[in-house]
Amino acid sequence: MAGVPEAATGHAEAHAHHPPYLQHHFVSAEQQFDAAKLGMWLFLVTEILLFSGMFVAYAVYRVWHPEVFQAASKLLDWRLGGLNTIVLLTSSFTVALAVHYAQLGDKKRLVQNLWLTVALAGVFMVVKYFEYSEKFHHHIFPGGNYAYEGLQLPYVGQFFSIYFVMTGIHGLHVLVGMGVLTWVALKAQRGVFSSEYYTPVEISALYWHLVDIIWIFLFPLLYLIH
Amino acid sequence: MAHATHHIIPRPLLLKVFLTLVALTIITALTGQADLGAFNFLHVPLAIGIAVIKAALVVLFFMGLKYDKPINALAFIIGLLMVGVFLAFTLLDVFYRGDIGNLSPEPIRGPQIEQVEAPAGH
Repeated sequence: MAGVPEAATGHAEAHAHHPPYLQHHFVSAEQQFDAAKLGMWLFLVTEILLFSGMFVAYAVYRVWHPEVFQAASKLLDWRLGGLNTIVLLTSSFTVALAVHYAQLGDKKRLVQNLWLTVALAGVFMVVKYFEYSEKFHHHIFPGGNYAYEGLQLPYVGQFFSIYFVMTGIHGLHVLVGMGVLTWVALKAQRGVFSSEYYTPVEISALYWHLVDIIWIFLFPLLYLIH
Repeated sequence: MAHATHHIIPRPLLLKVFLTLVALTIITALTGQADLGAFNFLHVPLAIGIAVIKAALVVLFFMGLKYDKPINALAFIIGLLMVGVFLAFTLLDVFYRGDIGNLSPEPIRGPQIEQVEAPAGH
């Protein structure tokens, strides 16, 4: 059984060279980081394709019924949509700062910016809640359930199907992002990250930026139709 | 273990990008509300153009793709190309159905508004 202690020694030696966060199937921390990041970009592409299906549906129905889209869009409050755009852009800025401070190993500012991002995501959801409840109050529902007296047009329900599905799935992504960033912030508080290892911060920040990008398109396409 | 030499994007640059994004949001909100008169047809290209610029700023600087390994940009760009194919081919059908000889000239769209509305007595 001479092989066993030999293997064990080799293992221990490998541990001496490997930092605790480096998994055994990677050659180096750099390789592990690059693999994680490429994986995340590929996931983001699938997210873009998910939303692009909805954007294509939007384009087709808007080409068919431009006047309906224009009239229905006026029922949305562009001020609230604009406010939420600024809120999300600010959260994208704070999460970019979080990555910046993670790279510098500044734990205090890293944690601050992560929590700030989660809080701004919360503000976005609160504004969204008020928008949705105001719509529901006026019986503005998707598809055939649309029953608002103030604007009766054929196909107006289609606009609100698209509005509620697109903003609804986007809102779901905001909630998921809040969960992920909370988890990362708690890890950061425990001092898991350093300037050598901050992959979860970087990966979750990429996800959050994508949520921001989707809204950058949703805001003008839904709220600003002239 | 060699120290990872990741590009750290300086704070002033992040701040500049953020302020530009806010400015572009204000511009898109104002032009979205404005009556452009004879140039009203520019509303859609303007809104989409500004959104594309904003998204590009987020991708290049906030997500750091400008300083990243080219393989990540390649993955992203291939994804965008697929979205372009998806959108272009669908809209090609929406706009030009019937222009090609072997297809029914009837566009695949629901009944027209006039037909739906036409209530009795009109």
